[in-house]
Amino acid sequence: MKLNIEGLLVYFPYDYIYPEQYSYMLELKRTLDAKGHGVLEMPSGTGKTISLLSLIVAYQRAFPLEVTKLIYCSRTVPEIEKVVEELRKLMEFYSKETGETNNFLALALSSRKNLCIHPEILHANIVVYSYHYLLDPKIADLVSKELAKKSVVVFDEAHNIDNVCIDSMSVNITRRTLDRCQNNVDTLQNTIQKIKETDAAKLREEYRRLVDGLKEASVARETDIYLSNPVLPDEILQEAVPGTIRTAEHFVGFLRRFLEYLKSRLRVQHVVQESTPQFLKDIFDKVCIDRKPLRFCAERLQSLLRTLEIADIADFSAVTLISNFATLVSTYSQGFTIIIEPFEDRTPTIANPVLHFSCMDPSIAIKPVFQRFQSVVITSGTLSPLDIYPRILDFRPVTMASFTMTLARTCLCPLIVGRGNDQVALSSKFETREDFAVIRNYGNLLLEMSAVVPDGIVAFFTSYVYMENIVASWYEQGILENIQRNKLIFIETQDAAETSMALEKYQEACENGRGAILLSVARGKVSEGIDFVHHFGRAVIMFGVPYVYTQSRILKARLEYLRDQFQIRENDFLTFDAMRHAAQCVGRAIRGKTDYGLMIFADKRYARADKRGKLPRWIQEHITDGSLNLTVDETVQLSKHFLRQMAQPFRQEDQLGLSLLTLEQLQSEEMLKKITQIAHQT
Amino acid sequence: MASLSEEVLLVVKKVRQRKQDGTLYLMAERIAWGPEGKDRFTVSHLYADIRCQKISPDGKSKIQLQLVLHTGESTTFHFANESSALKDRDAAKELLQQLLPKFKKKANKELEEKNRMLQEDPVLFQLYKDLVVSQVISAEEFWANRLGGINNTDPGLCDNKQEVGISGAFLADIRPQTDGCNGLRYNLTADIIESIFRTYPAVKQKYSENVPHNLTEKEFWTRFFQSHYFHRDRINTGTQDIFSECAKQDDKGLKSMVSQGVKNPLVDLLSLEDKTLDEGYGLCTSTPSTSSSNRTVKDSSNSAIIKRFNHHSAMVLAAGSRKGDTQVDQASETSSTDGNSRDSDFFQPPVKKVRLQEAIEYEDLQRENGPKTVALNLKKADRYAHGPVPLQSQQYTTSQDIINSVNYIQHEMANYKPNLTQVLSSTSASSAIAALSPGGVLMQAGAQQAINQMVPPEVQGELKHLYAAAGELLRHFWACFPVNTPFLEEKVMKMKSNLERFQMTKLRPFQDKIQRQYLSTNLTGHLEEMLQTAYSKFHIWQTRRMMRKT
Repeated sequence: MKLNIEGLLVYFPYDYIYPEQYSYMLELKRTLDAKGHGVLEMPSGTGKTISLLSLIVAYQRAFPLEVTKLIYCSRTVPEIEKVVEELRKLMEFYSKETGETNNFLALALSSRKNLCIHPEILHANIVVYSYHYLLDPKIADLVSKELAKKSVVVFDEAHNIDNVCIDSMSVNITRRTLDRCQNNVDTLQNTIQKIKETDAAKLREEYRRLVDGLKEASVARETDIYLSNPVLPDEILQEAVPGTIRTAEHFVGFLRRFLEYLKSRLRVQHVVQESTPQFLKDIFDKVCIDRKPLRFCAERLQSLLRTLEIADIADFSAVTLISNFATLVSTYSQGFTIIIEPFEDRTPTIANPVLHFSCMDPSIAIKPVFQRFQSVVITSGTLSPLDIYPRILDFRPVTMASFTMTLARTCLCPLIVGRGNDQVALSSKFETREDFAVIRNYGNLLLEMSAVVPDGIVAFFTSYVYMENIVASWYEQGILENIQRNKLIFIETQDAAETSMALEKYQEACENGRGAILLSVARGKVSEGIDFVHHFGRAVIMFGVPYVYTQSRILKARLEYLRDQFQIRENDFLTFDAMRHAAQCVGRAIRGKTDYGLMIFADKRYARADKRGKLPRWIQEHITDGSLNLTVDETVQLSKHFLRQMAQPFRQEDQLGLSLLTLEQLQSEEMLKKITQIAHQT
Repeated sequence: MASLSEEVLLVVKKVRQRKQDGTLYLMAERIAWGPEGKDRFTVSHLYADIRCQKISPDGKSKIQLQLVLHTGESTTFHFANESSALKDRDAAKELLQQLLPKFKKKANKELEEKNRMLQEDPVLFQLYKDLVVSQVISAEEFWANRLGGINNTDPGLCDNKQEVGISGAFLADIRPQTDGCNGLRYNLTADIIESIFRTYPAVKQKYSENVPHNLTEKEFWTRFFQSHYFHRDRINTGTQDIFSECAKQDDKGLKSMVSQGVKNPLVDLLSLEDKTLDEGYGLCTSTPSTSSSNRTVKDSSNSAIIKRFNHHSAMVLAAGSRKGDTQVDQASETSSTDGNSRDSDFFQPPVKKVRLQEAIEYEDLQRENGPKTVALNLKKADRYAHGPVPLQSQQYTTSQDIINSVNYIQHEMANYKPNLTQVLSSTSASSAIAALSPGGVLMQAGAQQAINQMVPPEVQGELKHLYAAAGELLRHFWACFPVNTPFLEEKVMKMKSNLERFQMTKLRPFQDKIQRQYLSTNLTGHLEEMLQTAYSKFHIWQTRRMMRKT
């Protein structure tokens, strides 16, 4: 159908539309009009992607000078492929409706092995790729730096975007890294020696260039051609590479010194935590390395590698890592912390020193993106609470909206199980973690559910260790055997290939009617990337609240930073983080309006307002006061009732006019009024 | 001896049959027994007639072997030689064990067929018990018009039984029971053994390797239950355990399953992530140490449980779909690997393409263009959800009856003229009201409980059997009419006497029984009625015949 979104003609490749899709496009258009950033939360399975694509493509066609390019970032390879498939559908619809072959060029970079040559990106109207191509400075520099300013950037499935940002800026250095780096440096020295004998002019030419400074880059940045690289701060562009590292030999010597220093730092007996200024002071005191040459380290190494015409850069990954670290540590006095651990906490007898240089501020990596591109849209099915993202990513959105799912029948059923039948409070909190009564009651819940839920059940645990322990004690108590009478059991393991097989078998068992249970882990790969549509997931059980492991020093440092810099209290952040993962897990089962599923939160803490309030609105609004502290028995009764109702035939006619609209219905005055209520502004 | 030309495979002396001493002979095609001092066999069974053999349990004072025939009869031999009774019996048992299966195939096909029908159809079996075993009618009569169907149908169709899958919990069904003196008893049935073999081919292989050469069957299973293999949380420790190899094979099987990869690209976690972070970058959030050295025993036992559960479920699933599917599977597999090998930017394996398209499809956003289906029009969704409710009243009125009576009442009401001079007296009016109020005499029918609440279930069951049997007999009886051949004449006479016998031997005792239990005696009223109808029909027919004859 052809839609009119506030005066913009949008081709939408379906005969019907969900009201929330219309509302979503409306908000999106306003964001583009304002040339600002947006945060939009819309439930999964309501056609978010196609709405996005339809609107932005229409916008591009209508205002080719305002928006030149769409950069669509998603997280997993299948997600990217799905986007491409939807785009293809949209394009087919365009050529069918308009009768002209479209001249849109879309490009997908789905995996590194078919990494594309970057000039093509410059010409494409739409680029679909993974987050890293934009957020990871090492790759962004190669792939994305020349993307036009007038692009619209979309981060889909963005609920974990802060972690991606942090990951891309953090570095870990082990003894092995240093050993490999040592080899790299030796190779560099030999190569330099050889070149000196054969082609000394080359090195001289490089020296001259370095004296002139990094002028090219500076000019490029000023004239706004490049996406700035957070690893390459503005200041160094104005300066020439300092004399101490200008010649190749000097630089190699400099690297050696730095390397020796790092080696000495790894020789620790106890945990050391320090800030970047402390680290810089120490390095100056010990080996007289100044801050300035350190900052140029990454750039200088690149130049050297280019000069030496080294083909396989992968061989030099260790020295590249070290030089990146050098530049980062000397550039940012804030937002990073250095933690040196002599051994793993679990194995204090085995020396395995690691230097963690961890980024605590996700806004550092994403800052250039917000600064450069006129509209950046962050969207996902679960972005609650919406206001936290602008805070931790440090940007000011023009639109923030959460959309509900209009439903002709309530196809999701969130239940909070707080008690066992014996009134024992259910919780995964640390104190009762080993409590047999809790574990038994959890087992009972799964057993009872396995008897009433058809086909597939997915259960998530808070961590892998917790799941292992519970599975072992369920085995001892004979609970698993009883569950096997109803369904087959498959369990996620730490091996991805093994888990893939278990997943496929799980689906097979759901498919052939035998029914199965998948035991899985929140924050694991399954919880983030696998959908359980229809009969593959009729119920999701979340055992416990998936708090992150709080004893890690890196996390503690990050929490402290959040408190000091953003005034976000530790508990608020931890709860937010736990709830977004819980929402991700339970959201796996509902992938559309024709789908249905139970969402069982098995922990009494979910009933508290501070937890419940952080769930997405589209889940929250279906939690009734009566389902806040259920026993296992009550849960089973409610589930039975729900499943029986949902199993009734559900036809298009049932939805029409309520949660599914024809063009005429959409245009009615009354409906437009209703639609304005779907978007919940914050 | 009767037939010396027969090859005698085994002779066992001092075998008693019906308290008579004698000698047991096992020959090429039959088993026979002759009393001592006589030169002929009083017992002789073809192997083909024997359904199975049973032996007395170890430890019983009498050492016996029982042969059960297809006809249901059985013959028991008592091995009486004091010194070697057990050995004799086992020798005979072993030999029979080898011989019987050979003849099983040759066994009377019809018998097999009857047997199968009885086994598969519990109702028929009950009927058989009620009518044939209690000798109301003979077996031939019973089968007379049932086998007709069998012989016509294609035996291939009958044999093609549906493959039954394996219960996921078959191991759980082998609940050990303590025998009171620090031991455990596991009960194994043929079904469970088959399940074990089908799920764990490695165990089957071990079984055929070791039993009976190295171990007896009992020893084999004892070791099985003692092994770490059965107890999934135990780690493989010793190598003397014959099942340690099974565990290794399972591991290997699991590995090969894993290495085969998955066909559905959307569940392939390996290719899920566009792995762009190089080594050394990224936040390392407590990476689980994979090196086995620093895992505690408990950890690895836990992960062993998880592995074995995955393996078990996969094997159970595979055992259920192994037949017939394998070829299709392989075909699709090769085609998909074929596709992968040409993997390039613009080529997507077809499986993947289809899956992706499925994943992005919003069926409700599209105009329905499939064949219009007729939706179930449910007036009362509750009735649909809760299943049928048993009919409460015993007397069933057709809707036509109801409409008629309503019309009638309407008509009556329309024409009703109060005749005030002839009203009831106040006392009789109030008694009429009392009688018509709930709990009153006339309202009892409404509150009457359903039969299934008044009568204990075993009586209900018995009643059902009686109905089935009576129905069967009556069917035979009524099938004789019109009686136009001498054969039918004879049959109808016989059927009538059968009915009478049924009434005497089956119905009467039942009636007595329910009388003894003070149950409403009307339970059998309808049965009686049916029988009476048959009798009166018979009498009419008989008097007519007499008249014609005279």
